[in-house]
Amino acid sequence: MGYLLKTNWWKWLCIALLVYTIIGGLLFRVPKLPILNETIRVLHFHVPMWFGMILVFTGSVVYAIKYLKTNNLKFDIYSSQLADMGIAFGVLGIVTGMVWAKYTWGEPWSNDPKQNASAVSLLIYLAYFVLRNSLKDEEQRNKISAVYNIFAFFLMIPLLFILPRMADSLHPGNGGNPGFNAYDLDSNLRKVFYTAVLGWTLLGYWIASINVRLSLTHQKIENAS
Amino acid sequence: MQKVIALIKKDLTVDWRQQNPISGILLYLASTIFTSFMAFKGFISIEVWNALFWTIILFTAITAISKSFVQEERRSLYYFFLVKPNDLVISKLIYSFLYLMALSFLSLAIFSVLFGNPITNYLLFTFNLLLGCLGLSSAFTMISAIAFKASNRSIMMAVLGFPVIIPVLVLTISNSAKILDHTIWSQIQGNMLTLISVDVIIIALTFVLFPFIWRS
Repeated sequence: MGYLLKTNWWKWLCIALLVYTIIGGLLFRVPKLPILNETIRVLHFHVPMWFGMILVFTGSVVYAIKYLKTNNLKFDIYSSQLADMGIAFGVLGIVTGMVWAKYTWGEPWSNDPKQNASAVSLLIYLAYFVLRNSLKDEEQRNKISAVYNIFAFFLMIPLLFILPRMADSLHPGNGGNPGFNAYDLDSNLRKVFYTAVLGWTLLGYWIASINVRLSLTHQKIENAS
Repeated sequence: MQKVIALIKKDLTVDWRQQNPISGILLYLASTIFTSFMAFKGFISIEVWNALFWTIILFTAITAISKSFVQEERRSLYYFFLVKPNDLVISKLIYSFLYLMALSFLSLAIFSVLFGNPITNYLLFTFNLLLGCLGLSSAFTMISAIAFKASNRSIMMAVLGFPVIIPVLVLTISNSAKILDHTIWSQIQGNMLTLISVDVIIIALTFVLFPFIWRS
């Protein structure tokens, strides 16, 4: 995060990757499959949201640990802003998934383990922000929310592995359903998909870095006055 | 170790002397079970029995354990100088585990009077109950230490606690449903091992993270 705040080249990379993703994702030829049809294109707009969410939350936990180690206020700002971005990714992931499920599974919410796990991880991070708002003393707030961030993250990870074992999932890549790589005979999907993951994640870090800058500036103004 | 035992003894005496919280939680348990008996009368199958039992354990746990740090509010300065945070958290973990075990056996007794008793394999059921209570009590002890500092404690307990406790709850409920359905050990072995490892994760995290809360 510190490095990303200083340089700019990755922002151009992000724009280029996303332009390619959007054009390629909507226009390139996709395999013709029953039921899925053209909805397979959601791959470039739904799955990267989860990759982005997990990566951004991981970043948030890393900075929470760093904060507890050093007590440096900067790390708390990184951690909370990354968690904020993770929630945005999660909401987008759930919404795109529900739209897709409506046309392929027949209903937007079918109590699928993957859907439940994603809802729970959103609940955890929403609770994190409720906790932050309910603590008044600043240092106490930073410390306790960092502790909750770490505690909840390390319990969310086993959850993502436990829930799918409890029930069969309809989700591609689970419970005997083939993932997208089984259909991707000419690697057309793959080319767009990997750029999409990278592009959307970079966009997330970009937005988070703007928020971080804003909070750091607020901090400076408060300290000066 | 001596300090841990002393702290547990202190918790016991405090609860014994001010009988208000204990009688309150007992009455809470009894009236919750009785209310659900009135609501569910007539269509109690084994699955419903199981789900209801664990739901009541969950709510009892969150109500009973949320007090564990709140009652220390005035004493916390003494502890700060007298005991190490790790000793304090071990004593709280052990005490809340024993407390929750006692409450869940009691609720099992009331359940079997009102709803009947579908348990056939007592050993396995008790083992699962033990692991479930261990997970619930230790996670809620940690959450109560977090919520202790927040402004609206009782809501924060539920908001912070429920998403975190889901792995333990999902595993124990499905295990106990299978146990009530005459499943033998080898069929639920995998789930039990996962449950044990989740418990270990919770306790280890509590142990590592608690000193940071205590110092703030």
